Amino acid sequence: MRGFVRDNALSLFFLLAFAAALVGQSFAGTADYNARQLTEGGLPVTWADYVTSSDFAVDVAENWQSEYLQFLMFIMVTVWLVQRGSPESKPPGEEGGQSDREQRIGPFARPDSPAWAKAGGVRRSLYSNSLGWVMGLVFAASWFAQSVAGTAAYNNQRLSQLQDPVGWSGYVLSADFWNRTLQNWQSEFLAVLSMIVLAVYLRQRGSPESKPVGAGHAATGVES
Amino acid sequence: MSRLLLLLVALVITACSSQRDGEVAQAADGFYAALASGDGARACALLSPRAEEGLEKGGDTCPEVVLDLDLRGGAPLGGPRVYGDEAQVRLAADTVFLHRFADGWRVRAAGCEPRPGLPYRCEIEG
Repeated sequence: MRGFVRDNALSLFFLLAFAAALVGQSFAGTADYNARQLTEGGLPVTWADYVTSSDFAVDVAENWQSEYLQFLMFIMVTVWLVQRGSPESKPPGEEGGQSDREQRIGPFARPDSPAWAKAGGVRRSLYSNSLGWVMGLVFAASWFAQSVAGTAAYNNQRLSQLQDPVGWSGYVLSADFWNRTLQNWQSEFLAVLSMIVLAVYLRQRGSPESKPVGAGHAATGVES
Repeated sequence: MSRLLLLLVALVITACSSQRDGEVAQAADGFYAALASGDGARACALLSPRAEEGLEKGGDTCPEVVLDLDLRGGAPLGGPRVYGDEAQVRLAADTVFLHRFADGWRVRAAGCEPRPGLPYRCEIEG
């Protein structure tokens, strides 16, 4: 048991942090929603009502989609673009999907390589891009969920302001949808940019996301 | 097994949605039925507190004012449009907005005319 916890401590830490933050968001969101209900002469809702509402769903989904987009882009763009000196980048000159030998696939697979890396054809192709596909699918599903929940939340607001509700297609073209979407995207892109650039010059001793403290600023793709 | 679960969830959602739509339509129907029968007190009892207060100006009472407005509803145009605790019922001669309170749905705006790009202008609003 102790061995399992130690071997998976990083995943377990973020799983617990995610759960705690989501529960915290649900309680803070309920309080915020009920405060608005009171000022508008509406009815307070229970925690259970709030966590099954479109308001909660859209707030969760809009953050999920942007986080998955951030990592999807980080994974895909770093295949082709480099940043000299960044531990998040491959060294200049190594842009692209690399050779089968470098990727240890097909005839170059090792005994401990995953089965689909040893296989050929569609399976190898699929597995070679599986991380990007899964991140991309979760991003697309989250963005779609944001659009559906957002339509309901937006229409609730429109009706409260004596305006006609809009359909899904009307909502995805609305300023509300793109404001929610882009305000999340800009912060994610800024965070990635900061990580790539700051890690060229700054260090965090012991972190695999940083170069060793004594590594030169020009050293690229070197992690602790 | 998972298909059965999905079917059950879909049935529950459909049933809840139908029941909710029925309650909204019933509230709008009740409001216009009270007006048609000249029962201002009953019509006012189906208004939201703010809408009712909005009609009580200059010593006039809600039951008197609501009948003087001479509002007409007419046949429903499609089903109610319900999002959370807000709803809209479109009738042949009016558009009605309702809000869900602890004791059920109540009319918060009636006698409404659309304005392109702007909220409806309503004779009763609250």
